[in-house]
Amino acid sequence: MAAHTVFRTVLRNEWRLLMADRPLRIALGLFALLLAYALANGVVWMRFQERTAEVARAGNVERAVAIEEELTAIENGAEPASPFSDPRRPNVLGGARGRHTAVLDPGPLTALAVGQSDLLPYYYDVNIYTNESSFHQNGEVESPLNLMVGRFDLAFLVVYLLPLLVLALSFNVLSEEHEQGTLALTLSQPVSARGVVAARLAFRALLVVGMVLAGALAGTMLAGGFGAPGRIVLWCVAVVTYTLFWFVLAAWVNSLRRSSAWNATVLVGAWLVLVVVLPAAINIAAGLLHPLPSRVEMITVQREASNEAVNRRSELLARYLEDHPEMAEGVVADEPGLGALAWAATDAVNRRLEEVTGEHDARRAEQIALVRRYRFLSPALLAQEVLTDAAGTGDARFAAFQTQVRDFAEHWRQFFVPAILADEQMSASILPNTPRFRLADETSADVTRRAGVPLALLGGLLVFVSAGAAIGLGRVRGAD
Amino acid sequence: MIRHGIRHVIRKEFTDVLRDGRFRWCSVLVGALLLVSLGHGWVQARQAQREHAAARATARDHWESQGEKNPHSAAHYGIYAFKPRLALSFVDEGVDPYTGTSVWLEAHRQNDFLLRPAQDATAAQRIGALTAAQVLQHLVPLLIILLTFGALAGERERGTLRQLLATGVGRRDLGMGKALGIAGALALLLVPAAGVGAAAIVVGSPGPAASPLSRAAVLTGVYVAYFAVFLALSMAVSAWARSTRTALVILLGVWVVNGLVAPRVAVDLSKWLHPTPSALEFAHTVEREMASGTEDIARPDRDALAESLMTQYGVDRVEDLPINEVGAYLQESEEFGNRIFDRNYGALWDTFERQGAVHETVAVAAPLLAVRALSMGLAGTDVEQHRHFATAAETYRRDLMRRMNGDLTANSRSGDFSYQAGAELWESTPPLRYDAPTLGWVLTNRLPSLVVLGTWLVVTILAAAARVRRAEVA
Repeated sequence: MAAHTVFRTVLRNEWRLLMADRPLRIALGLFALLLAYALANGVVWMRFQERTAEVARAGNVERAVAIEEELTAIENGAEPASPFSDPRRPNVLGGARGRHTAVLDPGPLTALAVGQSDLLPYYYDVNIYTNESSFHQNGEVESPLNLMVGRFDLAFLVVYLLPLLVLALSFNVLSEEHEQGTLALTLSQPVSARGVVAARLAFRALLVVGMVLAGALAGTMLAGGFGAPGRIVLWCVAVVTYTLFWFVLAAWVNSLRRSSAWNATVLVGAWLVLVVVLPAAINIAAGLLHPLPSRVEMITVQREASNEAVNRRSELLARYLEDHPEMAEGVVADEPGLGALAWAATDAVNRRLEEVTGEHDARRAEQIALVRRYRFLSPALLAQEVLTDAAGTGDARFAAFQTQVRDFAEHWRQFFVPAILADEQMSASILPNTPRFRLADETSADVTRRAGVPLALLGGLLVFVSAGAAIGLGRVRGAD
Repeated sequence: MIRHGIRHVIRKEFTDVLRDGRFRWCSVLVGALLLVSLGHGWVQARQAQREHAAARATARDHWESQGEKNPHSAAHYGIYAFKPRLALSFVDEGVDPYTGTSVWLEAHRQNDFLLRPAQDATAAQRIGALTAAQVLQHLVPLLIILLTFGALAGERERGTLRQLLATGVGRRDLGMGKALGIAGALALLLVPAAGVGAAAIVVGSPGPAASPLSRAAVLTGVYVAYFAVFLALSMAVSAWARSTRTALVILLGVWVVNGLVAPRVAVDLSKWLHPTPSALEFAHTVEREMASGTEDIARPDRDALAESLMTQYGVDRVEDLPINEVGAYLQESEEFGNRIFDRNYGALWDTFERQGAVHETVAVAAPLLAVRALSMGLAGTDVEQHRHFATAAETYRRDLMRRMNGDLTANSRSGDFSYQAGAELWESTPPLRYDAPTLGWVLTNRLPSLVVLGTWLVVTILAAAARVRRAEVA
């Protein structure tokens, strides 16, 4: 019998067997149901974020229009509505009233993996007073309880539940034949145990992977189309690799020739260790080895710096002008205005805050480095990382957004601060020149490069279990 | 008196479990995780408590030593409040990483709690967070399932059930004996852990709480009930299932639905039934209402206020008032703002609590949700107790503003902007004193979960008794 015919025979046989097994049919049906539910959930969340991003952008336009109207009216002789919100003053125009909201659109595949997008802010109001403490704001309004539990999205389904389905489908792939006494019969045919197990698992893997990928593609279509093919490919490769890892692990355990019950216990144990225990252990180790100072300290520092700065304004201004000669144009050093003095104090507080944040971030980086170093132990951590990164809802994209907002805030200050220092008024003519935030979003190539490492590690784990399974199955003989 | 037969069954089951390699490995793993997570939680809670205490003292110091200034400037300067860690938070940190830790109490506005520890964690840390509560809620039930699924189904499969019953031991005694034997083995693991936890509270409580030991006692009771639910459920399934395989598959299915599916479905259900506004919408609403009031809440009218003050004091000009009209107006604005905040924040917190009630309702299908609510409640780390502190902080803010505006009104005259108060006023304002809710408050709040958990306990025990009585020998 030619190899491919055997394969086909096994596949056909498998389909019949599967359809005859009621518990398995129920499990597959349930999984399909949860798949649809997870997708619907993800799509709803992505739509919500898209709407919010639109509203935030509309706010920018509304504020600009209102300011332009008032400035034009003032130029035509009207009085400002209030001296405290006079849009001619640069600290009003560049301050809270004229603020610009920098928005991060939801990641292209948010519908497939909510990731960190429910916790981290995806828009920031930028004005001249934006500093490090501005980045410590809450994200979307959400009950802390809901944040704690997390969302039921496709990534959760894949990382946590899919392995359990795979194990239910494959824990007895060989042991069952043995227990029913059909193994010797099967292996008396011109087929190897390796071939039989491969064919049986290939069929089941095809079924599971096919379901998830079809779901993922449907979700992508519903949520905005295939604008990011690179990300979609990455997502799919991660799902396939992760799913195969669990199938092959089951094959390996089966090759040890123990009972089905033993296989089930060991595989559930492996799931528990790889998905729950190891990630927890790595985190606890990171927390113990590199404890993070609490952010509370930041508040104290900010207070102390501002108390001190208020008393040393003139001195600070002199130093500020020395450091930023480009901004000093038009400032008469002997008689600086109140605005200039206040700005010098603000700037001193910002510098101090940056120092504290810098120290904190360095400590945090150590903690993250430790988690990254040992993540290869857990396929779940690796898969989770690739899935959220590919979706555009991982930590890296939010960090990049924050960095760009930080740069934008600097740009914003450079636009308004010289006028504050020189005590000048602004007019409607400068409005078209006020800085606008443009996100330089990560490209597919960036994502692939970044997610390539965990994906390669996941692939390495797959190769490792494959080798184990191949060797183990090679030793299986029918007679025993 | 325990009958002879059942004593044998208990002893046999107990010894069997202890000899079982699976149990030994699993227990070592679960026990180690439990101890490590307890220790880690305790260290962290102590550190957070120390940092918060220090920050609280510094904040008070800043307030008292802010120098001479106008009371309204002091009101703008404000003070920071830091949420205390309660004594039992090291067992269950609950929603604490997802609520802010500090809030700025300043003039004119109610601020959000900022600095959520979870925002400093990576996605990997978010999925891998493991507290003692999670070990108790997820892993111990799994251990119970693995120990129990074969208790009767296994005897039946091996054909030993018939023999056992032939010795004259009743089905009821057999079932009771097996359950008690397994419970005894589990106790070997859990009683020391509870002892360590209690010792941690006595030796160095990480924070204040009303009667931490009685809270701990109730918490222990809740977990014992939860474990009993799983033990009874596993016995019932083991007595009913035709094979050990079926018993294991069904019980693992229950475990997955209880621990993985139901909690997240409850999130979506709660959001669908009780939607929250987006952060942007919420901020806009507050901003708009603060600017122009609502239908029922009018912005204070400064001229009308001045008129009524002049009538009250019998003068014709604002400058002749014996008080500062600005102070009175500031206080009126403050009270206007408070009504707007109560309306918006109150509605938001009510929505959060209604969402929490949905989670507690889903507990009808998954006992984990009832236990989790009770556990967080007793540890003082649920949404309601966060709100309790937030309310205390806001009440304190309002009192502080009233004092500042009162001093400005009473001790200066209208139009006089040079008035300055000093350390005497700052020191005369009492610091924020927070009393955590009592055990009774928590249990009243969590009554639905208590009822649901109690019902689960009764139903599963009855089911186990019924199934064991009808267990077939082959």
